[in-house]
Amino acid sequence: MVGVALFFTGCEDLFDDVEPATSVSGEEALSSPEGVEAIRASMYSTVRAAKEYTTRYFIAPDSFTDLLRGRPGTTRYQGYNEATEGDGTTLHLTSWGASYDIIQDANLLIGGVPEGVLEPDVEELYRGEALAMRAFAMHHLVRGYGYEPGREVDGWDAGIIIRTDPVMDEEDADARPRNTVTEVYDQIIDDLDEAAGLLEGYVSQGRMDESFVHGLAARVHLYAGNYELAAQHAQTVIDIGEYPLADTESAVVGMFGLPGNPGSHPETIFLLVVDGSTEYFTAAFGDPLDWMVNTGPSAYTSNQWVAQLPVQQVLDRYEEGDYRLGWYNECFDHRDGSTPSDCDAVNDQGWTIDKFPASKHVGNQADDMPYMRTGEIYLILAEAEAKAANDPSAGAPALNTLRNARGVGNVPSSALASMEAFEDFILDERVRELIAEGHRFWDLKRLGRDIRNPDGSTKFRTDSHRILAPLPVDEFSVNELLTQNPGYPGGN
Amino acid sequence: MFKKLLSTFGIVFLLAQFAHAQTGTVTGVITDAETDETIIGATVFIPDLERGATTNVDGVFLLENVPVGSYTLRISFIGYQTIMEDIEVIAGEVTELNVALEAGVVGLDELVVTGYGVQERREITGSQAGVRARDIQDVPLQSAEQILQGRAAGVNIRTASGNPGGAMQVQVRGTGSINAASEPLYIVDGVPISFSQLGMPVDASSSPLNSIAPGDIESIEVLKDAAAASIYGSQAANGVVLITTKRGSAGVTQISARAETGFRNMSRNVDYLNTDEYLDYYGDAYFHNNLVASREEGRQAAEDFFLGFFGPAPGTDGLANTNWQNIIYRDDALTQKYNVSARGGDDRTRFFISAGYEDTEGHTTRSHFDRMNLRSNLDHEMTDRLRGSVNINIARSNQSGVCQDGNFINCPTSQAMFLPPMAFPWADEEQTEYAAHHPTWGVSSNPVATMREVPREVAILSIVSNVELDYHLADWINVRGSLGVDYRDTEETQHRTVVVSPADGGWTRVHDRRVENYTANLRANARYTFNDVHTINGLLGTEFRSDWTQRVTVQGEGFPGTFFRVLDAAAEPSTASGTETEWRIGSYFTNLRYNYDHRYYLTFTGRLDGHSRFGADTRWGFFPSVSAAWNLSDEDFFNIDEINELRFRASYGLTGNAEIGNFAARGLYSAVGSYMGDTGLTPTQLANVNLGWEQAEEINLGMDYSVFGGRLSGSVDVYTRENQELLFDRPLPIDSGFEDITENIGVVQNQGIEIDLRTVNISRADFSWSTSLNISFERNEILELPDGEPIRRDNSFTSLQEGEPIGLIQVARWAGVNPADGRPMWYDENGNITYTPTEDDLIKYNDGKSNRIGGIGNTLSYRGLTLDAFFEFQAGQWGDGSTDRAFTRTPDFLMNLHSKVKDRWQEPGDVTRVPRAIQSGTDYPETANYRTTLGTHVIHNAGYVRLKNVTLSYALPVGITEAIGIRNLRVFASGVNLITWTQWPWYDPEIAWDTRDIFQNVTTASYPTARQLNFGVEIDF
Repeated sequence: MVGVALFFTGCEDLFDDVEPATSVSGEEALSSPEGVEAIRASMYSTVRAAKEYTTRYFIAPDSFTDLLRGRPGTTRYQGYNEATEGDGTTLHLTSWGASYDIIQDANLLIGGVPEGVLEPDVEELYRGEALAMRAFAMHHLVRGYGYEPGREVDGWDAGIIIRTDPVMDEEDADARPRNTVTEVYDQIIDDLDEAAGLLEGYVSQGRMDESFVHGLAARVHLYAGNYELAAQHAQTVIDIGEYPLADTESAVVGMFGLPGNPGSHPETIFLLVVDGSTEYFTAAFGDPLDWMVNTGPSAYTSNQWVAQLPVQQVLDRYEEGDYRLGWYNECFDHRDGSTPSDCDAVNDQGWTIDKFPASKHVGNQADDMPYMRTGEIYLILAEAEAKAANDPSAGAPALNTLRNARGVGNVPSSALASMEAFEDFILDERVRELIAEGHRFWDLKRLGRDIRNPDGSTKFRTDSHRILAPLPVDEFSVNELLTQNPGYPGGN
Repeated sequence: MFKKLLSTFGIVFLLAQFAHAQTGTVTGVITDAETDETIIGATVFIPDLERGATTNVDGVFLLENVPVGSYTLRISFIGYQTIMEDIEVIAGEVTELNVALEAGVVGLDELVVTGYGVQERREITGSQAGVRARDIQDVPLQSAEQILQGRAAGVNIRTASGNPGGAMQVQVRGTGSINAASEPLYIVDGVPISFSQLGMPVDASSSPLNSIAPGDIESIEVLKDAAAASIYGSQAANGVVLITTKRGSAGVTQISARAETGFRNMSRNVDYLNTDEYLDYYGDAYFHNNLVASREEGRQAAEDFFLGFFGPAPGTDGLANTNWQNIIYRDDALTQKYNVSARGGDDRTRFFISAGYEDTEGHTTRSHFDRMNLRSNLDHEMTDRLRGSVNINIARSNQSGVCQDGNFINCPTSQAMFLPPMAFPWADEEQTEYAAHHPTWGVSSNPVATMREVPREVAILSIVSNVELDYHLADWINVRGSLGVDYRDTEETQHRTVVVSPADGGWTRVHDRRVENYTANLRANARYTFNDVHTINGLLGTEFRSDWTQRVTVQGEGFPGTFFRVLDAAAEPSTASGTETEWRIGSYFTNLRYNYDHRYYLTFTGRLDGHSRFGADTRWGFFPSVSAAWNLSDEDFFNIDEINELRFRASYGLTGNAEIGNFAARGLYSAVGSYMGDTGLTPTQLANVNLGWEQAEEINLGMDYSVFGGRLSGSVDVYTRENQELLFDRPLPIDSGFEDITENIGVVQNQGIEIDLRTVNISRADFSWSTSLNISFERNEILELPDGEPIRRDNSFTSLQEGEPIGLIQVARWAGVNPADGRPMWYDENGNITYTPTEDDLIKYNDGKSNRIGGIGNTLSYRGLTLDAFFEFQAGQWGDGSTDRAFTRTPDFLMNLHSKVKDRWQEPGDVTRVPRAIQSGTDYPETANYRTTLGTHVIHNAGYVRLKNVTLSYALPVGITEAIGIRNLRVFASGVNLITWTQWPWYDPEIAWDTRDIFQNVTTASYPTARQLNFGVEIDF
């Protein structure tokens, strides 16, 4: 019986010294430089691990519109190909949860680290990166769920929820209404302006550096219709000059790499660097058995499923001799050396778009991911300068620089005949340059164009409710202040 | 910790030195009352001392060194009524006791294993059900849960995988929890078995109970209500399963040897179209889609298209007609099984040792199970007061798996559904090169290649062992301490040769999971009778358990050829990862029983548990129960001769469920992902210091009866159980960066009636027929959800709503096929026909809960011949065979077509349930995608009646066995899953996605259940 009495003496220790192997408390995480650095790593890792920021980000905007179509017998993104305005259809380029995961990591770096934990210069750097990351995620969110400021349809100006403080406990996770798109764009631009100051002179291709902040600012201002500011920021990126245009055939063709051979990415401004052995696309949650290598952009476009191929109308947009044709290759699954069937049902040559050729690891279908390239910056510059001046020829120099670097001649005069013709031409040039990099749907949306099929038939019109993404239905019972976009189920 | 405990034992031993006792001897002969023949192997037991002996070949038993005093002896033998006899042991003298036993069925005197003890059935005030070794000895199954299926009222068991040795889902009295686990606590000879594992098994489904060979099991008891289970406190809300293995008894050593062999095959096949029928279908689809002018033209066009797409079968110029089920499944999977055991001992030492080997091939080609097991159960009386026992079970099992249990393109079990007859496995007639088989998917998902080039092995080494010391401080009180270990190392190895994984040169992955689960307890047991009629039993105990698990995964890739597969031969490592986790629980428990004259029983049970999973504020939980019983038939005024036994029971109590994840209450930043060489750390969980146990509050009313001289006996139980404080992830706005926070908010109710009935229909000297029946009626209802709001309101299969059962199905009502044009039709919310049902049109349509389950067994004996037939049934469960439904009703991806499409609409006026032929689900004009749109037409009744087991055995007459010098020789044949009657159209109606599936209304392409037929011989020396 003595033993029974002894048994639980000091027994609370027995329970308290059981600690999780791969987790720590918030205090531990935020109060050491290593912990804060790990939160910074998580911010980038979250982007890499979310399908919303990888395959859905890069491929779906083209599948949803008129650039990519399914190989017969495959199902991946068939839904995006077939989506129309029809009833009950809610498929869209959604990213609500994943974006806020990124924003939460960024907010921790911005507002959650106690003073004195980091050296001042390191603190500035992290804060700048986090502000840029928050702006990046917020812009991707707001372009999905709201109209661009000034382009509201029927006065619908709801944007997204702005969150700029870290959620440290349950009370911080409060219910909030959506902010207007103007408020959201103002916040994004404020963040980018502050980040530009903090990151001045900072160069890092794998992180959010000064060039990226200006590049993103150019993109955001272009969406918002602030053409002069868009042009200024684009010009700043070019002036910084860290990521010059590739202008030889081999440099252009080789920039994205080959299966098993990483690309050179000379002009990628933000390149999310992936460790091909351990960092596959959605294996983020610790368990290596949760392998989902087959959901990455490579698996969708050039390996395994080979599901989304460029339509003939895309290939028809290129002139002969365009270096960028080197981004296309014949259908071939490098994983097992097989030749997928029926590729020629999508385009005559049976080509795939190989911007994600499994360059970091063939078996794991891993690639580094280019979120912004200098090619896009020249396209922004051209469009913004023309629109700022309301004169197509004002955009010609930037466009010519890009086109010459791609082995094709200057802009044809027909494209400079009117602003409409110029915008049409810019849209085509954006297809040639930015296919499979996540632009087509957003370009058509911001320019008020209808969403069409490759044959020109309408998928849905620009004034359709389907232009905006639906908010997740489950959120309305959790957050009674939240409103749904028009035409979708749910909402308060 | 353990040092502390061991020193406690030391103190107990020291005390032992001061104790002296005076003793006597008890001996006698046990005979059959009718024939006067002596009975060999009868048990004579002194419950007060928990000591016993077995009669030898002359029917004589001997109990030496019995402490002086008066005792009640219990004399029992299978097939005879148990008798209680009072004796007086006098110092230094021999007390003789000769007893004649009457034939009959066991009743309230039967000894039953309970939580931390053994009681007579008449003393039990809670509700429990069980099976005995003799009922199941010949059933050729691999684990205890499989054996229990259908045999214990209120215990619902389903196969999660038909892989031999595969895991089972076991639910006692319904689904009580939504987000915490709903598995019962398993205890083998006092050792709790850990079900913890980090990461799900990937290479083969496997039950942790595989380590216990069914042949070693003496009994399985399921503690069902709170009164029976609350002594296990926070681990008991889902019921407790006590597995007791065989032990030795004093007397001649009995050696038993068994050998059996048999085969295994599919219990059901699915009928898919052959190539000819497929062409008809596809031709029709072309015709309806206006691509051709006639069906004949369509058929020709289809043939041309398929020839282009699949190519001609090797060596021919026509299409293949492959029956993939015949390639993937086999009819001739062989089993062999051997076991030798010995039991015996003298009055101081008793032993049971057993060794076995089983080798069973799975009916999916190349799947396989083998097991070696070794058990040694020893009991020794060191002094008159000090006894010890050691149980050791070591088992090594190997499962060669195939990819299974999921809708995966490279799993053979899915491929059996996916691959159309036009595809073929080999590219050439010589079968040297794998075909791309289905051009859309490539060689790496050719099932023949997967089965040959992707070996998967699951090797499990398990040790379940405990040491127990029992010291009798006085005649009325003893103290026991025990130390148990449950160690399990699971090593899963998967290799892909360069043939199916050329990009990385082939790879090997080793995934090792280790469980170390220690339990130590110390308990005192007292029993005292005063004034002859008041008996008090008291148990006071304390226990500590720690459960630690670890996972390590390594992978290497780049093999020089197909001849190596170990990691040393890999060119480079590609993955290395691992983690570990632990939980601990410390407890005090008590069981206090009082009875008055064996007529009125009152029991109080309570357990105080402290658990590492909870924060300081909610760490300790108390789980009490009270129960009472009244043996009406023992009252003097009770004089109905036909009723031999009648008693009533009532209980009320609380149990807990702590299966919430090891660190659910803490605010956590977890290592997630990495970037440019830095590991990521991100908040994954907000702190909740108030998080506590789930709690089950249960009321049970029961009745036990035995009438007509024991010809009819059984029990009836009625219960209602509310699982409260259910853990729910209360959703947070996801823009906070968190999806939810775990809180104690929900309530689920399970109610039911359980009926157990055993009859002896005919009992003559040379012929007997007995029947056992159990049936339970269950009802499941969600009473309370966070804020009363439905969770996943419009989800077809996982919606949770107050007032509805878990597993509610919501789909649009199917309206049949439009006779005019063959299009599918549904009803909208207003009852009008619609072709495009929406979420508004969903109706509540059945659910995944079996609400009537049970089994019926019949045993007939004629001289040495025994026939045992056991049926199992479940009714009330409905579900969706998701893989079959999504991929075998339309030819969207040129997969298989179920033969039901032969009933399709052909021309205007046809009235049928199957729409017209289509090329893809989207072909019907202005109609929702037929392939992906759910409706009542795809929800099927998964109820079934199954001839679960038939055993025929023949024991040679004693005259012959004696002549050849053996005790007993028996030959037997036994089959499992022989016939199934069901309306379920796909492979198997047992639906469990995995062992933790609470909805039970969707199944994917899982490994189908098998039919097994074995023949064997058993010789006893």
